Amino acid sequence: MLPLSLLKTAQSHPMLVELKNGETYNGHLVSCDSWMNINLRDVICTSKDGDRFWRMPECYIRGSTIKYLRIPDEVIDMVKEDAQAKSRNRAEMNKNRGGNAGQNQNQRGGRNGNRNNFGMRQGNQGQGQGNRPLAQGNKPRK
Amino acid sequence: MSGLESYINHTVSIITADGRNFIGTLKGFDQTINIIIEECHERVFSTTAGIEQIVLGLHIIRGDNIAVIGLIDDTIDSRLDLANIRGEPLGPVVH
Repeated sequence: MLPLSLLKTAQSHPMLVELKNGETYNGHLVSCDSWMNINLRDVICTSKDGDRFWRMPECYIRGSTIKYLRIPDEVIDMVKEDAQAKSRNRAEMNKNRGGNAGQNQNQRGGRNGNRNNFGMRQGNQGQGQGNRPLAQGNKPRK
Repeated sequence: MSGLESYINHTVSIITADGRNFIGTLKGFDQTINIIIEECHERVFSTTAGIEQIVLGLHIIRGDNIAVIGLIDDTIDSRLDLANIRGEPLGPVVH
């Protein structure tokens, strides 16, 4: 599981963010991006020594200033369906690609109309649709 | 693939750049070594009292802040008598 997909799943959940300078920010995650830049709402900022507090309706934190994020335990169970389904699809796509490479071996050179055929759909015609059954066979594994 | 792959779902000890020690189960990481730690505990060392364990829960630790990730042997670790171990806390990484 990728840390950033967990963070994305944690959107709308409360969290604690500690910055490298020791300040902590408690709030609800509104949004995040692939640099870990985050938007928080209903924020309480605590100074490094923990004896000064600031309340603010929202704030934006640059990802590179973050030390760590503390997230509610249940969020990790919510990411499971989402992200793992994605990585499974990716594994299948790679399998398909590998299968096609082998089948197209004899088709280089000449004009077989197969160049730039990124989907490689045509290349499979007349070959019993190559790897299709394999990919489908894997799908029900959930 | 990175050597961290084999640590997934195992107990690991993280030493961060500010000298703290986190223990927990490694659930994931990415190319910048941001990591997901489940059931995270912080162990606070002191020369005058035993090791204090603070339960923290689910954490994402940013890669910038990580100095060391070590694999923990659960059987050996459970034999530790934390209350009677003294040690100086680590300082922060000096660049």
